[in-house]
Amino acid sequence: MKPAPFNLLRPKNVEEALALLQSHRDEAKVLAGGQSLVPLMNFRLAQPHNLIDLNGVVGLNEIRVDERSLTLGAMVRQRDVERSPAIAERLPILREAIEQVAHPAIRNRGTVGGSLVHADPAAELPLLAIALDATFQLRSARGSRSVAARDFYQGYLSTDIAPDELLVEIVFHLPPPGAGWCFTEIARRHGDFAIVAVAVLLDFGRDRSVNFARVALGGVGPAPLRVAAAEEILLGGRPGAELYRNAGAAAAQAVEPPADIHASSGYRRQLTGVLVRRALATAEGRVKGQA
Amino acid sequence: MAEQISITVKVNGMEHTAAVEPRRSLVDFLRHDLGLVGTHVGCEHGVCGACTVMLDGRTVRSCLLFAAQTDGAEIITIEGIATDEALHPLQLAFQRHHALQCGFCTPGMILAALELLRENADPSEAEIRVGLSGNLCMCTGYVNIVRAVRAAASTGKAK
Amino acid sequence: MSSAKKWVGQALERAEDVRLMTRGGHFIDDLTLPGVAHAAYVRSPHARARIRHIDVRRALEHPGVYAVITGEDVAQSTRPQRGRVPLPNSPRVYAVAYQQVRYVGEPVVGIAAVDRATAEDAAELVQVEYDPLPPVLDPEEALKPDAPSVFEEIGSNVLWHDTFPYGDVEGAFAAADTVVNERVTIHRYASTPLETFGVMAQYEPATDSFTIWGHTQQPAQDLHVVAAAFGVSPAQIRLIIPPMGGSFGNKVRPLFIIAAALLARKAKRPVKWIEDRRESLLALGHAADGIMEMSAAVKADGTVLAIKFRNIENEGAGIDFAGRHNLLMLSNIANCYRFRAISYEGYSVVTNLCPVVANRGIGKPFMCFAVERMMDAVARALKLDRAEIRYRNFIQPDQFPYDTPGGQTYDSGDYPEMLRRALAAVDYEKLKREQAEGRQSGRLLGIGIATAVEPGGSNLSYGMLISGPTQLLSGQGEAARVRLETDGTARVFTGGLDSGQGHATALAQIVADELGLDVKQIRVATTFDSASHPYVMTSGVYSNKFHGHDTVAAIGAARKVREKLLKRAAALLEANPDDLVLGDGRVSVRGAPQKALTIAQVAARAYWSLADEQPDGEPGLEALYYYSNPLAKHPDEKKRVRVQLGFASAAHVAVVDIDPETFEIKVLRYVVVHDCGRQINPGIVEGQVHGAAAHGIAAALLEEFIYDENGQLLTTSFMDYLKPTAADLPNIEGDRLETPSPLTLLGTKGVGEGGAVVAPAAIASAVEDALAPLGIHIAALPIVPSRLFEVAAAGGKRYENARR
Repeated sequence: MKPAPFNLLRPKNVEEALALLQSHRDEAKVLAGGQSLVPLMNFRLAQPHNLIDLNGVVGLNEIRVDERSLTLGAMVRQRDVERSPAIAERLPILREAIEQVAHPAIRNRGTVGGSLVHADPAAELPLLAIALDATFQLRSARGSRSVAARDFYQGYLSTDIAPDELLVEIVFHLPPPGAGWCFTEIARRHGDFAIVAVAVLLDFGRDRSVNFARVALGGVGPAPLRVAAAEEILLGGRPGAELYRNAGAAAAQAVEPPADIHASSGYRRQLTGVLVRRALATAEGRVKGQA
Repeated sequence: MAEQISITVKVNGMEHTAAVEPRRSLVDFLRHDLGLVGTHVGCEHGVCGACTVMLDGRTVRSCLLFAAQTDGAEIITIEGIATDEALHPLQLAFQRHHALQCGFCTPGMILAALELLRENADPSEAEIRVGLSGNLCMCTGYVNIVRAVRAAASTGKAK
Repeated sequence: MSSAKKWVGQALERAEDVRLMTRGGHFIDDLTLPGVAHAAYVRSPHARARIRHIDVRRALEHPGVYAVITGEDVAQSTRPQRGRVPLPNSPRVYAVAYQQVRYVGEPVVGIAAVDRATAEDAAELVQVEYDPLPPVLDPEEALKPDAPSVFEEIGSNVLWHDTFPYGDVEGAFAAADTVVNERVTIHRYASTPLETFGVMAQYEPATDSFTIWGHTQQPAQDLHVVAAAFGVSPAQIRLIIPPMGGSFGNKVRPLFIIAAALLARKAKRPVKWIEDRRESLLALGHAADGIMEMSAAVKADGTVLAIKFRNIENEGAGIDFAGRHNLLMLSNIANCYRFRAISYEGYSVVTNLCPVVANRGIGKPFMCFAVERMMDAVARALKLDRAEIRYRNFIQPDQFPYDTPGGQTYDSGDYPEMLRRALAAVDYEKLKREQAEGRQSGRLLGIGIATAVEPGGSNLSYGMLISGPTQLLSGQGEAARVRLETDGTARVFTGGLDSGQGHATALAQIVADELGLDVKQIRVATTFDSASHPYVMTSGVYSNKFHGHDTVAAIGAARKVREKLLKRAAALLEANPDDLVLGDGRVSVRGAPQKALTIAQVAARAYWSLADEQPDGEPGLEALYYYSNPLAKHPDEKKRVRVQLGFASAAHVAVVDIDPETFEIKVLRYVVVHDCGRQINPGIVEGQVHGAAAHGIAAALLEEFIYDENGQLLTTSFMDYLKPTAADLPNIEGDRLETPSPLTLLGTKGVGEGGAVVAPAAIASAVEDALAPLGIHIAALPIVPSRLFEVAAAGGKRYENARR
């Protein structure tokens, strides 16, 4: 299990990285934390001729929080997200999600950008990007552009990123300050990719009806997705078991999950309904400013 | 063959300069080029944790890093844990509590435990189990490993 | 003379640990030789195919490649593999595939190159043309007359088939009030040592001899298998087995050694091959999957009079362990119960799956699962408590030694007390009330019970049931050499091996007691070397044999040394040997403690002072002892044979909570009460109990090799083959009974395999109990939440494995 030969290119800054991407295009792969790519290379399932290592690139490691958003540089290590007091305070669902990514040593090395671009349909960060309607900041030698998460994820392990483009940062739009949240998942084994993962956010208006709702799912399709049908049921509804059950049922109905050796399609559908319902109940308990 | 890359790394306090093929993994470099065979290879795809080392103060899978990426880094392997005079409190606790059998996972397990205790000086059983969940042991069922880490934590010196 | 045990019985820290925790350096991949080449293999992508053509030219031209071997080379240079138990009608199996491939992952071309990465580069340049053929994967399918033939030369897919009627089975069924039928299956799994298989081979043309560092658990047998393959004398092979990073019955593939040796001969330089994880999961070996059909003859009071078994074992495409799963299952077929009669019909069937190995407990986990499932089924049929059905059928403490219908002699035990203690540990009655209350609100709480014998030390004469009475290999034993050095340090060499069980520490404790030395003065060699270690053909580390064989061999050799020591001391002290006292590193005259010498003083003279009068007629203080277990006899005319020689026992109680919506299974408590007789080192014993139980729990809940309908293995990484992490396993609680075996020198019984034998049954019992409100019966493993959900959603009443 040794990788096929490759050239290791080590740009020092984003411009150098973009120039390398432009000149090598399909012949190159970007190496971030390497926690998904390197196993594939060791199995020789990926055999890039050139590997552009971002680990020496300056300026991609920033965590910025302002009133409305949280911005993470693509090379922010998952462990630093987990340890950030600002994130724990302002976007606790991100912390809850990241703690469910693999194991400490993987998170020490794994990056936010690497996980987002690898786009595993059951991974935590892409799911959260979808749930929070995050914005992907892409750059290439040709220029830069912003892509909404719902447009970024296009299918199984497939994204809108062009061969010469680099994800430089991601902007998570913060939910309302008092919103409740829950990120939960079920895997066969601790730290594994989820069979089904669920991210929900919930907030109430002054009349205690739901005025903010996000329901997003991972593991149930080729890419993470938001479930409009469930969110519609929630919005304007009275918080409580019945509402969450209905939202869960709507989510379960909205998906056509895949089957694999760990779970049948029907089981994933079942988990979808159950986890959405339970996550909403948990989120309700975390809504701030309740009587 | 791809061009070799020259690197300088500090391993257990000693500086090494070497030219490596880009595909040389850090663990193969440590084991076969530097002769530090205390770090083991168990799966080469990042699941088992046998190859765990500290890179700039954090545990990493040395099977998922290329040696060429570690230029300028400081690495601690199992060979750097005990002093000439004494075993580390974690090592003492592992021996006392029969926390190893074949010993193949032990170097990685000890490094993972060391990081855990640096972040959480007094972990509960559940916290230890989650903290060590990136390291597979095929022999012990983890019972005595958990006991040993608890015992090491209670010494207050296992950092 | 002192015979008090000073060291045996203490939970001493292990002598092995410091090296393992600091710098290691003794595992196979830590060793190297000047100019060593590294091997990689091209492996079959097909489950069954004819090899039409192999083109290795581009690989040979690749820079850094030294040598390539194909099936043609192997068939010309080596003889077909001789099985450990020779089959009357053996298929022809070579170190790499010859003319045909028979499982996905089978080695087809071996390549030796300057490093492993280059060897893998070259492997990608080899072109193999295959004519794919339809595979046969399911053992029941393989039995059909029109099934594809795995080995055409043997005419069918049945490697071995036999029936064993023990006692008056038909009479028992005639006397029964009820007959309970059951069909259960077991899946493929493996204990997957963290260190993969490895070998490094060197060939010396001047003497036509090989030096091989490598893995095996039966060094003498594998040495002879390799010698036979090359047609050379065993003396032309030096086999060195360094300590192994776990083995668990998996590292038993002499074909891998033969291939490396042939590559080394062809490459004209040493060749090392370290199996990678993908290769290991694909091709090292699995526990056999199997199908068991049973009928029990039961009285109305719950007495089980007899059970009929029919078992089909899927051996995959190999012959290493032909029939062994089946035959070893005869050791625990009666489990803890007073069955009057038993009949057993076993098939060993080949298919196009990975060959099987002797995974921890080989066969016995399935037999225990089957019998314990049957006992639960009987309890259910009679509406009896599952503990009660066991109490009513247990062999009683006053019945030992107890002879089972099939010829096993159970040495000692107290099964009722064992189960009582395990149930008390979880407060069974209280839990049952909690369970009943919980069911009102839909909680699925389950209590699982399994009680079992844990056989130790196999009598290899059982192979005669396959190959007939002319088979040479029989019995069980071990060899040891003890040498007292000039400073009073003793060194111990045996035919046993180190794969993590702390045998060096345990042997040091034993020998220290025999020689009156401090345990730190005993050095036990942990790297076996056929050129210097004594061995017999049953030598090695397997079948829980250490407790009653390695120990006795070491004691035998130590006692010979002690006798020499005392004779020499007597001469020096001008005393009678019978008047001497040995202890604390000294020999003194009884009643005159001032008349004494240190052991070092006596030992030094034995080597330095050759002009002394030699009390034994020879200098030195070294002795060799070969032990054969007198209990190990040939099968009798009724095919009864003591398949195994000692019978530890255990009761496992599992408490599980199943989420009624997600069907996740949480193990809340796991209690093991075991009895392995006297313990040499309780710290080591406890670790074995934990580790073995963990293997069994994981096999029941997580681990499974899954093949698709084409025979492709879908679980070729640890991402998909689910080894448990610390966060996936329960704390394993324990307690022990100690009924010393009257049949072993130290009163010991085996311990390493036991937990892995019992735990699958306990988990199944707990899950079935939890699911009682749904009425789902567990007839297969592993128990996967998704599959449980599907059964429940369909209103099903049986959890069965979809066959692959």
